[in-house]
Amino acid sequence: MAIVELDRITKAYENKVAVKELSLRIEPGQMFGLLGPNGAGKTSSIRMMIGITMPDSGTVKLFNRNFDRTSLEHVGYLPEERGLYKKMKVIEQLAFFGQLHGLTAHDAHARAVSWAKRLEIDSALEKRTEELSKGMQQKIQFIGSLLHNPGLIIMDEPFSGLDPVNAKLLEQTLLELKDEGKAIIFSTHRMDQVEKLCDSICLINHGEAVVSGKVRDIKSRYERDHVIVEFDGSAEFLKSSEIAEASNFSGHAEIRLKPHGDAQKLLKEASAVATIYRFELVEPSLEEIFIRAVGGKADA
Amino acid sequence: MRNMLLVAKREYLEQVRGRAFKMTTFGLPAIFAAILAVGYFSSLGIGSNRHLAIAADDPTLAQLLRSRILGNKDSKATVDVIAPASPADKQQLVDELRTKSLDGVLWVEDSASPQPKATYMAPSAGDFITDARLESALNKALVDEHLIKGGMEKQQAEQISKGVDLATYQVKSDGSVIKSNAEASFWKGYVMAILLSMTTMIYGMNVARSIIQEKTSRIFEVMLAIAKPSDLLAGKLVGVCAVGLTQIAIWLIAAAVLLATPLAATIMTGNLAIHISATEAILFPVYFVLGYLLFSSLFAGLAATCETEQELQMYMPLAAAPTWLSFALIVLIMNDSNSVWSVAASLFPPTAPVIMFLRMASEMPPVWQFVVSIGLLALSIVAVLWFSTKLYRIGILMYGKRATLPEIFRWIRYS
Repeated sequence: MAIVELDRITKAYENKVAVKELSLRIEPGQMFGLLGPNGAGKTSSIRMMIGITMPDSGTVKLFNRNFDRTSLEHVGYLPEERGLYKKMKVIEQLAFFGQLHGLTAHDAHARAVSWAKRLEIDSALEKRTEELSKGMQQKIQFIGSLLHNPGLIIMDEPFSGLDPVNAKLLEQTLLELKDEGKAIIFSTHRMDQVEKLCDSICLINHGEAVVSGKVRDIKSRYERDHVIVEFDGSAEFLKSSEIAEASNFSGHAEIRLKPHGDAQKLLKEASAVATIYRFELVEPSLEEIFIRAVGGKADA
Repeated sequence: MRNMLLVAKREYLEQVRGRAFKMTTFGLPAIFAAILAVGYFSSLGIGSNRHLAIAADDPTLAQLLRSRILGNKDSKATVDVIAPASPADKQQLVDELRTKSLDGVLWVEDSASPQPKATYMAPSAGDFITDARLESALNKALVDEHLIKGGMEKQQAEQISKGVDLATYQVKSDGSVIKSNAEASFWKGYVMAILLSMTTMIYGMNVARSIIQEKTSRIFEVMLAIAKPSDLLAGKLVGVCAVGLTQIAIWLIAAAVLLATPLAATIMTGNLAIHISATEAILFPVYFVLGYLLFSSLFAGLAATCETEQELQMYMPLAAAPTWLSFALIVLIMNDSNSVWSVAASLFPPTAPVIMFLRMASEMPPVWQFVVSIGLLALSIVAVLWFSTKLYRIGILMYGKRATLPEIFRWIRYS
């Protein structure tokens, strides 16, 4: 059963096509990355998924049914544009969101307390939202989107503005939710974050999908032509005829080989002039794949 | 419906707990009462305690005039008499006016002629109360003099020219006749109309401000994933309306309690003898709700097209126009509350709430006019809500700049 199924959805505004013929399918227990530069059409796609806007053409199915608002009872959404009622107490705010999602006042309150403990913000429950830091507010909004135990969780840039400790805590929570069988859509322009969390991705540019599928499959389509070298000594080997492009960060070099470039030959050249601590042939990153896919013509 | 009620409850609790609610609930009537009290009590002393001089060629007329001026208890004036007066006296009196030794000089010439000439000179040009008192006193003194010359006793002459008090009664549609007080009716209608227009505007603007604040805080993106835009808008309108009704209920209860006290009974006499009927007490919240819904529906839509409260100010004349128009018609309404213009204005939805209360103060309009006015208001609210929901649905997700008029028309076409 597909939790989300978009079939060639298109949305155009006055003088811009925001999303063009986008199709994707997300299964239960899947962490799905919706990637692309700012303005690529990620948020527009999500808005259509949850009925904030309607596609001009194409269909949206949630939980194997054509979209209707009752499906939203099983959707948790953390938008990129964070917003909370500043004057409300945290516990009242969370209970309000829970009730809007169909919970009773008692259940919403109990779950809010439980989640606050899990995310280590229970001491803030009686405070007004405006008294809290941005990071704390983000955690509250994160909880607000999960209180009703949704089957589909949509997170638009969930880690922006969080310190590393809290980002790790949220990351861990998302992985636990994934293990519970929830489908998670993770929208971001930070491709490095997606790389380690998501099983499948869809790279969008100018509203169109440029690459999509399982992360492993996508990466395997590309040659391992990247080399990371950690060394001590001369950097003369970076002028090798095997190298297309190289960046040297004082003993740490990131190298892209020419098509069919010989990594072994490069290793020999390097070890001749420097002491090599690490020489690793790696897959191209998602960012690299994206740049190759759009030919360096991304939106932002 | 459930989500709409939840949104309404949240809005209601947030506003009722807020400082602004407490301030307006207790502060507004206090400020209003203070303004009326200051106006009333300061008017009591207007034109009194003047030091005047009467200069006339006829000493008898001058004395009669002095007697008339001193006979007016409100004036509490000191009056000097120079009679018969010469041109040299005139120059001296002008000098005294210049040095503020005198507040005014009444110069009367040709007293023997059928049309004596009277001139009043004073350092202030705006003292119309003293002007009116002197004119009245002079006319009465002239009548007194003619009557006395004709052989009448001074006391009898004064009694005749005193005039009579007119007692006014209102014949109601059910045939009953009650004593009426036009001035008290006017003030009752005026105060209720002001309270109605103020509360309608305050709560209508509250809705608009709240939408802009939520738009600025980006809460809509979260809320739209949970609730329909129409539920959000309806919830806000209902919630804020409930806040307004709570405030009106507090005012009505407080007024009822205060009016039941012995102190109020002693104060509320004469021109202050204001009584609010049960019909008025019921129709006040009804017209508040209708006026508020019409006003706030329109402003909810317009607020969704703005980014800041400053941008919303641009639409303020639109909000205030019905109130301005209603109060511009006040003399017409109080003069003839059943004229075509009065009836038309009380049926025209934007002015209906205020005009109906002004009319009620003068004479209770027929029931059919209430039915038509409420029906037209309800239809207008539906029409404005249709228009505003379209603006609201798109506007709350548009960030960056205020929408232009062509953009607003495009939004209405699209949604």
